[in-house]
Amino acid sequence: MTWSRLGRRIYLSPYLRTLQNASAGSRCLGSVSEVSSYKSISCNIGFQHYFTSTRQLSRLDQELNTKSFRQYFYSLASVSQNVKSSRATSGVRHFSAHASKEKKSQKMLLYLTGLVFGMVGVTYAAVPLYRRFCQATGYGGTVQRRETVEEKIARHDKEKTVASREIVVQFNADIADGMPWKFIPTQRQIRVKPGESALAFYTAENKSSTPITGVSTYNVTPMKAAVYFNKIQCFCFEEQRLLPGEQIDMPVFFYIDPEIETDPRMDGINNIILSYTFFKVSEE
Amino acid sequence: MPPEKGIFPLDHMHLCDLEKKEYLGCLKTVGHQSEKCRDFSKKYLQCRMEKNLMAKQDLGELGFKERNGETPEGKPTERIDN
Repeated sequence: MTWSRLGRRIYLSPYLRTLQNASAGSRCLGSVSEVSSYKSISCNIGFQHYFTSTRQLSRLDQELNTKSFRQYFYSLASVSQNVKSSRATSGVRHFSAHASKEKKSQKMLLYLTGLVFGMVGVTYAAVPLYRRFCQATGYGGTVQRRETVEEKIARHDKEKTVASREIVVQFNADIADGMPWKFIPTQRQIRVKPGESALAFYTAENKSSTPITGVSTYNVTPMKAAVYFNKIQCFCFEEQRLLPGEQIDMPVFFYIDPEIETDPRMDGINNIILSYTFFKVSEE
Repeated sequence: MPPEKGIFPLDHMHLCDLEKKEYLGCLKTVGHQSEKCRDFSKKYLQCRMEKNLMAKQDLGELGFKERNGETPEGKPTERIDN
Protein backbone atom coordinates (compact mmCIF):
# COMPACT_ATOMS: atom_id res chain seq x y z
CA MET A 1 0.00 0.00 0.00
CA THR A 2 2.67 2.44 0.96
CA TRP A 3 4.71 1.60 -2.15
CA SER A 4 1.75 2.37 -4.42
CA ARG A 5 1.11 5.59 -2.58
CA LEU A 6 4.73 6.51 -2.95
CA GLY A 7 4.54 5.72 -6.63
CA ARG A 8 1.53 7.97 -7.08
CA ARG A 9 3.21 10.81 -5.30
CA ILE A 10 6.30 10.51 -7.47
CA TYR A 11 4.10 10.53 -10.58
CA LEU A 12 2.25 13.58 -9.42
CA SER A 13 5.07 15.60 -7.96
CA PRO A 14 6.39 17.15 -11.22
CA TYR A 15 2.92 18.49 -11.97
CA LEU A 16 2.58 19.92 -8.53
CA ARG A 17 6.01 21.42 -8.65
CA THR A 18 5.56 23.22 -11.97
CA LEU A 19 2.15 24.49 -11.00
CA GLN A 20 3.31 25.75 -7.67
CA ASN A 21 6.16 27.56 -9.32
CA ALA A 22 3.77 29.12 -11.78
CA SER A 23 1.20 30.11 -9.23
CA ALA A 24 3.80 31.61 -6.98
CA GLY A 25 3.83 34.78 -9.01
CA SER A 26 0.08 35.03 -9.34
CA ARG A 27 -1.99 37.77 -7.91
CA CYS A 28 -4.70 35.70 -6.38
CA LEU A 29 -3.23 33.81 -3.56
CA GLY A 30 -5.64 32.14 -1.34
CA SER A 31 -6.82 28.80 -0.21
CA VAL A 32 -6.17 26.91 -3.35
CA SER A 33 -7.77 23.68 -2.53
CA GLU A 34 -11.15 25.11 -1.65
CA VAL A 35 -11.28 27.75 -4.37
CA SER A 36 -14.34 27.34 -6.54
CA SER A 37 -14.42 28.28 -10.17
CA TYR A 38 -16.45 31.39 -9.36
CA LYS A 39 -13.88 32.86 -7.06
CA SER A 40 -11.20 32.38 -9.63
CA ILE A 41 -13.08 34.66 -12.03
CA SER A 42 -11.86 37.61 -10.05
CA CYS A 43 -8.33 36.62 -10.98
CA ASN A 44 -6.57 37.21 -14.18
CA ILE A 45 -8.07 34.83 -16.73
CA GLY A 46 -4.70 33.48 -17.61
CA PHE A 47 -4.24 32.23 -14.15
CA GLN A 48 -7.61 30.56 -14.03
CA HIS A 49 -6.14 27.60 -15.70
CA TYR A 50 -3.50 27.32 -13.08
CA PHE A 51 -5.98 27.67 -10.31
CA THR A 52 -8.50 25.17 -11.46
CA SER A 53 -5.75 22.80 -12.27
CA THR A 54 -4.14 23.42 -8.93
CA ARG A 55 -7.47 22.82 -7.34
CA GLN A 56 -7.87 19.63 -9.21
CA LEU A 57 -4.42 18.48 -8.38
CA SER A 58 -4.90 19.22 -4.74
CA ARG A 59 -8.15 17.36 -4.94
CA LEU A 60 -6.29 14.56 -6.58
CA ASP A 61 -3.97 14.66 -3.66
CA GLN A 62 -6.97 14.06 -1.44
CA GLU A 63 -8.24 11.39 -3.74
CA LEU A 64 -4.94 9.65 -3.61
CA ASN A 65 -5.55 8.85 -0.03
CA THR A 66 -9.12 7.68 -0.48
CA LYS A 67 -9.72 6.30 -3.97
CA SER A 68 -8.35 3.36 -5.79
CA PHE A 69 -5.39 3.27 -8.15
CA ARG A 70 -7.54 3.00 -11.23
CA GLN A 71 -9.51 6.10 -10.36
CA TYR A 72 -6.25 7.93 -9.72
CA PHE A 73 -5.00 7.21 -13.24
CA TYR A 74 -8.30 8.41 -14.69
CA SER A 75 -8.10 11.67 -12.73
CA LEU A 76 -4.51 12.22 -13.77
CA ALA A 77 -5.28 11.70 -17.41
CA SER A 78 -8.05 14.26 -17.31
CA VAL A 79 -5.85 16.84 -15.57
CA SER A 80 -3.36 16.69 -18.39
CA GLN A 81 -6.14 17.68 -20.77
CA ASN A 82 -7.56 21.17 -20.98
CA VAL A 83 -8.49 21.92 -17.40
CA LYS A 84 -11.72 23.69 -18.13
CA SER A 85 -13.20 20.71 -19.94
CA SER A 86 -12.04 18.17 -17.39
CA ARG A 87 -14.67 16.01 -15.76
CA ALA A 88 -12.52 14.79 -12.89
CA THR A 89 -14.61 16.37 -10.17
CA SER A 90 -16.42 14.58 -7.48
CA GLY A 91 -20.21 14.31 -7.50
CA VAL A 92 -21.36 17.34 -5.53
CA ARG A 93 -18.70 19.70 -6.78
CA HIS A 94 -19.36 18.61 -10.36
CA PHE A 95 -23.06 19.37 -10.04
CA SER A 96 -22.54 22.80 -8.51
CA ALA A 97 -19.93 23.70 -11.09
CA HIS A 98 -22.26 22.57 -13.83
CA ALA A 99 -25.14 24.55 -12.37
CA SER A 100 -23.08 27.68 -12.02
CA LYS A 101 -21.81 27.19 -15.57
CA GLU A 102 -25.38 26.93 -16.72
CA LYS A 103 -26.33 30.06 -14.84
CA LYS A 104 -23.33 31.76 -16.34
CA SER A 105 -24.23 30.72 -19.86
CA GLN A 106 -27.83 31.80 -19.35
CA LYS A 107 -26.67 35.17 -18.20
CA MET A 108 -24.42 35.33 -21.24
CA LEU A 109 -27.32 34.44 -23.50
CA LEU A 110 -29.50 37.17 -22.07
CA TYR A 111 -26.71 39.67 -22.37
CA LEU A 112 -26.02 38.75 -25.99
CA THR A 113 -29.71 38.84 -26.95
CA GLY A 114 -29.99 42.23 -25.34
CA LEU A 115 -26.93 43.33 -27.26
CA VAL A 116 -28.43 42.20 -30.57
CA PHE A 117 -31.63 44.11 -29.94
CA GLY A 118 -29.63 47.09 -28.83
CA MET A 119 -27.63 47.04 -32.04
CA VAL A 120 -30.73 46.84 -34.19
CA GLY A 121 -32.21 49.75 -32.29
CA VAL A 122 -29.06 51.80 -32.76
CA THR A 123 -29.14 51.11 -36.51
CA TYR A 124 -32.65 52.47 -36.74
CA ALA A 125 -31.89 55.45 -34.61
CA ALA A 126 -28.72 56.21 -36.55
CA VAL A 127 -30.56 57.62 -39.56
CA PRO A 128 -32.29 60.60 -37.92
CA LEU A 129 -29.41 61.09 -35.52
CA TYR A 130 -26.90 61.29 -38.36
CA ARG A 131 -29.08 63.69 -40.24
CA ARG A 132 -29.31 65.93 -37.21
CA PHE A 133 -25.58 65.71 -36.73
CA CYS A 134 -24.96 66.68 -40.34
CA GLN A 135 -27.28 69.63 -40.10
CA ALA A 136 -25.68 70.83 -36.94
CA THR A 137 -22.14 70.53 -38.17
CA GLY A 138 -22.53 70.81 -41.93
CA TYR A 139 -20.36 67.75 -42.30
CA GLY A 140 -19.83 66.46 -45.83
CA GLY A 141 -21.29 69.53 -47.46
CA THR A 142 -24.77 69.19 -46.09
CA VAL A 143 -26.73 72.36 -46.42
CA GLN A 144 -26.79 73.61 -42.90
CA ARG A 145 -30.10 75.32 -42.68
CA ARG A 146 -32.95 73.34 -44.06
CA GLU A 147 -35.29 76.26 -44.31
CA THR A 148 -37.65 76.69 -47.19
CA VAL A 149 -37.17 79.35 -49.80
CA GLU A 150 -39.95 81.45 -48.32
CA GLU A 151 -38.26 81.39 -44.95
CA LYS A 152 -34.99 82.30 -46.54
CA ILE A 153 -36.52 85.17 -48.46
CA ALA A 154 -38.32 86.39 -45.36
CA ARG A 155 -35.15 86.24 -43.36
CA HIS A 156 -33.10 88.18 -45.86
CA ASP A 157 -35.86 90.68 -46.23
CA LYS A 158 -35.90 91.26 -42.53
CA GLU A 159 -32.15 91.55 -42.37
CA LYS A 160 -32.26 93.90 -45.34
CA THR A 161 -29.38 92.14 -46.98
CA VAL A 162 -28.35 94.17 -49.96
CA ALA A 163 -26.77 92.19 -52.71
CA SER A 164 -24.09 93.91 -54.64
CA ARG A 165 -22.79 91.27 -56.93
CA GLU A 166 -24.60 90.63 -60.14
CA ILE A 167 -24.47 87.06 -61.26
CA VAL A 168 -25.00 85.99 -64.83
CA VAL A 169 -27.01 82.81 -65.07
CA GLN A 170 -26.54 81.12 -68.41
CA PHE A 171 -28.82 78.43 -69.68
CA ASN A 172 -27.97 75.29 -71.49
CA ALA A 173 -30.25 72.66 -72.96
CA ASP A 174 -29.42 69.16 -74.09
CA ILE A 175 -31.29 66.18 -75.34
CA ALA A 176 -30.33 62.57 -75.10
CA ASP A 177 -29.53 60.50 -78.15
CA GLY A 178 -32.51 59.34 -80.05
CA MET A 179 -34.78 62.00 -78.61
CA PRO A 180 -36.49 63.76 -81.52
CA TRP A 181 -37.22 66.94 -79.61
CA LYS A 182 -35.91 70.39 -80.16
CA PHE A 183 -35.03 71.74 -76.76
CA ILE A 184 -33.52 75.18 -76.30
CA PRO A 185 -33.44 77.85 -73.64
CA THR A 186 -35.74 80.69 -74.57
CA GLN A 187 -33.25 83.25 -73.29
CA ARG A 188 -29.52 82.69 -73.32
CA GLN A 189 -28.81 84.32 -70.01
CA ILE A 190 -30.27 86.32 -67.19
CA ARG A 191 -28.48 88.77 -64.94
CA VAL A 192 -29.68 88.38 -61.46
CA LYS A 193 -28.69 89.63 -58.03
CA PRO A 194 -28.58 87.16 -55.17
CA GLY A 195 -31.71 87.39 -53.12
CA GLU A 196 -33.97 88.02 -56.08
CA SER A 197 -36.20 85.32 -57.37
CA ALA A 198 -36.04 85.06 -61.13
CA LEU A 199 -37.97 83.40 -63.90
CA ALA A 200 -36.52 81.74 -66.96
CA PHE A 201 -37.94 79.69 -69.82
CA TYR A 202 -37.03 76.75 -71.97
CA THR A 203 -38.79 75.78 -75.15
CA ALA A 204 -39.32 72.21 -76.21
CA GLU A 205 -40.80 70.99 -79.44
CA ASN A 206 -41.70 67.48 -80.46
CA LYS A 207 -40.44 67.15 -84.00
CA SER A 208 -41.57 63.59 -84.52
CA SER A 209 -44.91 62.22 -85.58
CA THR A 210 -45.66 60.29 -82.41
CA PRO A 211 -46.39 61.50 -78.87
CA ILE A 212 -43.25 61.26 -76.83
CA THR A 213 -42.80 61.35 -73.10
CA GLY A 214 -39.61 62.76 -71.74
CA VAL A 215 -38.10 63.49 -68.38
CA SER A 216 -35.39 65.97 -67.59
CA THR A 217 -32.63 66.38 -65.11
CA TYR A 218 -30.50 69.38 -64.45
CA ASN A 219 -27.24 70.39 -62.94
CA VAL A 220 -25.58 73.58 -61.90
CA THR A 221 -21.98 74.48 -62.56
CA PRO A 222 -19.73 75.36 -60.85
CA MET A 223 -20.58 72.58 -58.43
CA LYS A 224 -19.78 74.53 -55.31
CA ALA A 225 -22.23 77.22 -56.28
CA ALA A 226 -25.00 74.66 -56.52
CA VAL A 227 -25.58 74.92 -52.81
CA TYR A 228 -26.71 78.52 -53.20
CA PHE A 229 -28.85 77.93 -56.26
CA ASN A 230 -32.35 77.22 -55.06
CA LYS A 231 -34.91 76.08 -57.52
CA ILE A 232 -38.31 77.11 -56.34
CA GLN A 233 -40.18 75.44 -59.12
CA CYS A 234 -39.27 73.87 -62.42
CA PHE A 235 -40.21 71.16 -64.84
CA CYS A 236 -37.57 68.61 -64.03
CA PHE A 237 -37.84 65.03 -62.82
CA GLU A 238 -41.40 64.60 -63.92
CA GLU A 239 -42.52 62.98 -67.13
CA GLN A 240 -43.70 65.46 -69.69
CA ARG A 241 -45.66 64.33 -72.69
CA LEU A 242 -45.64 66.22 -75.92
CA LEU A 243 -47.94 65.54 -78.81
CA PRO A 244 -46.45 65.43 -82.29
CA GLY A 245 -45.52 68.88 -83.45
CA GLU A 246 -46.38 70.44 -80.10
CA GLN A 247 -44.24 73.27 -78.84
CA ILE A 248 -44.28 74.19 -75.22
CA ASP A 249 -42.63 76.60 -72.81
CA MET A 250 -41.15 75.28 -69.65
CA PRO A 251 -40.52 77.77 -66.88
CA VAL A 252 -37.90 77.64 -64.18
CA PHE A 253 -38.35 79.78 -61.11
CA PHE A 254 -35.18 80.08 -59.08
CA TYR A 255 -33.49 82.05 -56.37
CA ILE A 256 -29.83 82.59 -55.55
CA ASP A 257 -29.09 82.73 -51.88
CA PRO A 258 -27.49 86.04 -50.81
CA GLU A 259 -25.15 84.05 -48.64
CA ILE A 260 -23.16 83.39 -51.77
CA GLU A 261 -21.57 86.78 -51.24
CA THR A 262 -20.28 86.04 -47.79
CA ASP A 263 -18.75 82.69 -48.69
CA PRO A 264 -15.03 83.15 -49.46
CA ARG A 265 -15.03 80.14 -51.75
CA MET A 266 -17.45 81.94 -54.04
CA ASP A 267 -15.23 84.92 -54.52
CA GLY A 268 -14.53 84.70 -58.21
CA ILE A 269 -17.88 83.32 -59.19
CA ASN A 270 -19.94 85.57 -61.39
CA ASN A 271 -21.26 82.98 -63.77
CA ILE A 272 -23.54 80.13 -63.08
CA ILE A 273 -24.65 77.71 -65.74
CA LEU A 274 -27.92 75.89 -65.40
CA SER A 275 -28.01 72.91 -67.69
CA TYR A 276 -31.04 70.75 -68.47
CA THR A 277 -31.03 67.45 -70.29
CA PHE A 278 -34.12 65.71 -71.62
CA PHE A 279 -34.31 61.94 -71.84
CA LYS A 280 -36.86 59.87 -73.63
CA VAL A 281 -39.09 57.79 -71.44
CA SER A 282 -41.45 56.26 -73.94
CA GLU A 283 -42.82 56.63 -77.39
CA GLU A 284 -46.33 55.71 -78.29
CA MET B 1 -32.33 67.82 -55.17
CA PRO B 2 -35.93 68.27 -56.23
CA PRO B 3 -37.35 71.78 -56.55
CA GLU B 4 -38.76 73.30 -53.41
CA LYS B 5 -42.29 73.80 -54.52
CA GLY B 6 -42.39 70.92 -56.93
CA ILE B 7 -42.98 70.75 -60.62
CA PHE B 8 -44.65 73.29 -62.85
CA PRO B 9 -47.46 71.64 -64.75
CA LEU B 10 -46.99 72.29 -68.42
CA ASP B 11 -49.02 74.99 -70.08
CA HIS B 12 -50.30 72.83 -72.92
CA MET B 13 -53.15 75.22 -73.67
CA HIS B 14 -50.80 78.21 -73.87
CA LEU B 15 -52.99 80.09 -71.41
CA CYS B 16 -50.24 82.31 -70.07
CA ASP B 17 -48.39 82.80 -73.33
CA LEU B 18 -49.07 86.51 -73.43
CA GLU B 19 -47.57 87.16 -70.05
CA LYS B 20 -44.59 85.06 -70.98
CA LYS B 21 -44.02 87.01 -74.16
CA GLU B 22 -44.25 90.29 -72.30
CA TYR B 23 -41.69 89.13 -69.80
CA LEU B 24 -39.28 87.90 -72.44
CA GLY B 25 -39.72 91.07 -74.41
CA CYS B 26 -38.91 93.09 -71.34
CA LEU B 27 -35.78 91.08 -70.72
CA LYS B 28 -34.52 91.74 -74.20
CA THR B 29 -34.86 95.46 -73.77
CA VAL B 30 -33.07 95.71 -70.45
CA GLY B 31 -30.15 93.49 -71.30
CA HIS B 32 -31.61 90.49 -69.49
CA GLN B 33 -31.53 92.04 -66.09
CA SER B 34 -34.00 90.14 -64.04
CA GLU B 35 -34.74 92.84 -61.48
CA LYS B 36 -36.02 95.25 -64.08
CA CYS B 37 -38.64 92.84 -65.28
CA ARG B 38 -39.83 91.60 -61.95
CA ASP B 39 -43.31 92.89 -62.48
CA PHE B 40 -43.72 90.89 -65.64
CA SER B 41 -42.55 87.74 -64.01
CA LYS B 42 -44.96 88.46 -61.18
CA LYS B 43 -47.75 88.80 -63.69
CA TYR B 44 -46.81 85.54 -65.31
CA LEU B 45 -46.89 83.72 -62.04
CA GLN B 46 -50.20 85.28 -61.13
CA CYS B 47 -51.59 84.12 -64.46
CA ARG B 48 -50.42 80.61 -63.69
CA MET B 49 -52.07 80.68 -60.34
CA GLU B 50 -55.33 81.85 -61.84
CA LYS B 51 -55.32 79.13 -64.45
CA ASN B 52 -54.45 76.47 -61.89
CA LEU B 53 -51.01 75.90 -63.26
CA MET B 54 -49.35 76.79 -60.01
CA ALA B 55 -50.16 76.45 -56.35
CA LYS B 56 -51.73 79.63 -55.08
CA GLN B 57 -49.49 81.53 -52.77
CA ASP B 58 -48.84 85.07 -51.77
CA LEU B 59 -46.20 86.26 -54.19
CA GLY B 60 -44.75 88.46 -51.51
CA GLU B 61 -43.47 85.32 -49.91
CA LEU B 62 -41.64 84.42 -53.06
CA GLY B 63 -39.71 87.64 -53.18
CA PHE B 64 -42.16 89.85 -55.00
CA LYS B 65 -42.67 92.47 -52.38
CA GLU B 66 -44.08 95.82 -53.40
CA ARG B 67 -40.90 97.79 -53.10
CA ASN B 68 -42.27 101.28 -53.06
CA GLY B 69 -39.61 103.82 -53.69
CA GLU B 70 -37.03 101.24 -54.47
CA THR B 71 -37.74 100.60 -58.10
CA PRO B 72 -35.00 101.57 -60.53
CA GLU B 73 -36.95 104.61 -61.60
CA GLY B 74 -37.11 105.81 -58.05
CA LYS B 75 -40.87 106.05 -57.85
CA PRO B 76 -43.57 103.51 -57.18
CA THR B 77 -44.65 102.06 -60.47
CA GLU B 78 -46.88 99.16 -61.30
CA ARG B 79 -45.77 98.59 -64.83
CA ILE B 80 -42.60 99.24 -66.67
CA ASP B 81 -43.62 100.75 -69.92
CA ASN B 82 -41.41 99.71 -72.77
